[in-house]
Amino acid sequence: MTPNKREGIEMTTRRKINRRDFLKLGGAGLAGAALLGASGCGGGGGGSGNLIFSMGPDDPNKTITKLIDKFNKQNKGEFQVTYREMPADTGQYFDKLRTEFQAGGGDIDVIGADVIWPIQFAAQGWLQDLSDNFPESEQQKFLQAPLEASIYEDGIFAVPWFTDAGLLYYRQDLLDTPPKTWEEFKEMALTVSQEAGIPNGFAFQGSNYEGGVCNALEYIRTHGGDVLENVTSGPVIIDSPESVAGLETYRSMVADGVAPEAVVNYTETESEPVFGDGESVFLRTWPGMYGDIQGGAYKLKGEQVGVAPIPVAPGNESFSTLGGWNMAINAATDMPDEAWEFVQFMTNEENLKYRAIEGGYIPGRSSLLNDPEVDEANPIVGLAKEILLDNATSRPVTQFYGDMSLEMAEQFNAALKGDVSPQQAVKTLQESLSSIMEQAE
Amino acid sequence: MTTASNEKKGRSRIWEEFADPERRTAYYMVLPSLLIIVIVAFFPILYGIVLSLTDSTAAAFGSFVGFENYVEMFQDPAFLEGLSNTVIFTVVSVTLEFILGLTIALAINRAFRGRGLVRAAILVPWAFPTVISAVMWRLMFQDRIGIIQYVASTIGIISEPILADRTLLLIAAILVDVWKTTPFMALLLLAGLQVIPNDVYEAARVDGANVYQRFFQITLPLLKGAILVAVLFRTLDSYRVYDLFYGMAQRELESLSTYVYEGVRISQLQFGPGNAAAVFIFVTSFLLALFFITVLGMRTSAEE
Repeated sequence: MTPNKREGIEMTTRRKINRRDFLKLGGAGLAGAALLGASGCGGGGGGSGNLIFSMGPDDPNKTITKLIDKFNKQNKGEFQVTYREMPADTGQYFDKLRTEFQAGGGDIDVIGADVIWPIQFAAQGWLQDLSDNFPESEQQKFLQAPLEASIYEDGIFAVPWFTDAGLLYYRQDLLDTPPKTWEEFKEMALTVSQEAGIPNGFAFQGSNYEGGVCNALEYIRTHGGDVLENVTSGPVIIDSPESVAGLETYRSMVADGVAPEAVVNYTETESEPVFGDGESVFLRTWPGMYGDIQGGAYKLKGEQVGVAPIPVAPGNESFSTLGGWNMAINAATDMPDEAWEFVQFMTNEENLKYRAIEGGYIPGRSSLLNDPEVDEANPIVGLAKEILLDNATSRPVTQFYGDMSLEMAEQFNAALKGDVSPQQAVKTLQESLSSIMEQAE
Repeated sequence: MTTASNEKKGRSRIWEEFADPERRTAYYMVLPSLLIIVIVAFFPILYGIVLSLTDSTAAAFGSFVGFENYVEMFQDPAFLEGLSNTVIFTVVSVTLEFILGLTIALAINRAFRGRGLVRAAILVPWAFPTVISAVMWRLMFQDRIGIIQYVASTIGIISEPILADRTLLLIAAILVDVWKTTPFMALLLLAGLQVIPNDVYEAARVDGANVYQRFFQITLPLLKGAILVAVLFRTLDSYRVYDLFYGMAQRELESLSTYVYEGVRISQLQFGPGNAAAVFIFVTSFLLALFFITVLGMRTSAEE
């Protein structure tokens, strides 16, 4: 009995020694890996005459692939562009790029970037300043809003490629003129849906995500409020009576029964079929929906649908949240000249027009918005021209927009649900957004 | 006094260990495997702990800030919501799964025709990838096409959209988890039931023990090992819940793991608290496991 017991004590002491050894070894390993990590940085760029272009999946007509083939034929033997397909989910694509940049630049040379990315990336020094190649005279040929969203400090970091903006879709067969003010809008949505026996007045994207930010911003701005003083910079000014009024109208869409209660968790996927299948009079969404309706994806026919600017509170201008894609160049690329050549190629008038017609996208050049051929192939361009040119406004993009968006999405959604009052929401945001902005300085 | 003398003994033990050349060789021979274990298992954990004590961002290693990240984390309402959601989710779902799982295990432990088929059939929900079942159930809870929402509002239990209310969402997530992992619990408990020898029951019956006595005096005590293993597995599993919440509600249902994800992968400024939360999950899981092993007396090996 006794020897056994002694054996037991010895066992435990031996285990203790081992644990201490583990810790020591762990420390050594930690130091070693830190050294490895330090030497692993740097580098980047494609090299070897090969340029890598990253973008989400190609459209059904494969316009990106075809344009790249065309470009490669032009530059036969000199260098080649390879298309690296990224996830369709914008958030995942962003995360992937960010990871590559953090790891020291990655091997992507030219980036197809969501309109909210260039400022965020540029602030980290990950994008090339295009000022020298992209003079003001050239810039003027592109749409103003996506250009502004590419300017960080004194540099310009992206070229507008394709654009998007929030639109108000309405049932042309049920009402003659679309509403101008939010009051008219609500009135119309309620009466027309009742008269026509349609279950809902309105559908939009109210969920706690980026799309919810885009929607709520339109309410705040059409009531005269805003988040930042100068669209993409300046102090936070969201705590204002105008913003409160905007969020009150936003909340009233649910509270007054204009939109279904479930709209608070709607994204594009849930909201578009509501309108498309004839279950609401109005819908706020992006231009692509029009092509889907025309293409027969829904019960509604193209001629039943009209497009209008986002309504306003009396005395204010209409605003639409800007979306779309720009082209930017990795700061760490080995082939900046070739990369610029490719950006120019993709965004020149001919190729933008090609992709607008074949791919159904809205081109980022002002001249093409008035092009009859584009208009014919892609009628939403003609219908929404003024909105795209005059109303589209970037989100309050700054260096830490990702964090700002998380806060805004949460508060806007809570205000829409009625969990917090509009006053409380803007007060909370004033505080949290200001502290995020402070960290950017 | 005792500790000091123990330590002394310990130190002389080391000396003795290494003085013996045969033993020394033995240590050298296990050293490579120990190194691999340290690198594979302990390094990532240590690295996470170190990161959580600095003001690092996803882009750059920062300087030491002590427990600042932990303070910030505990002050963050999102973290507290994640913590309370996770605790409620874990306690309620594991309790329900245990009761249902035990019932099912007892029911299918007896010999009946088609037993193999029934056992395979109850495993079906468990075989679904969690993300798939989360998205599938989300559709069923959805307001326009969701069968559950339709039935619930038709018979008048719930009038509001289920996916729009965080409390209802949490209840829904618990139900989905119970649906999905009760079979797992049942299977582990069934394995435990099958090793209880029949003679014990026969002897009890001869002694006149009734059904309840047999259950509480024989089945439960002999099943204790299997119960602890099953409940520990499930507890740790649901404590780390991520895919179910994210698949069902994206940002609307916060758990500890979604908080970590948001901090480390989406946000650029919450990297510190996000990392601190990751360490928090690890440490608390570890303590949970320790609690099961030491306090509840779970056996970790076949000795004894």
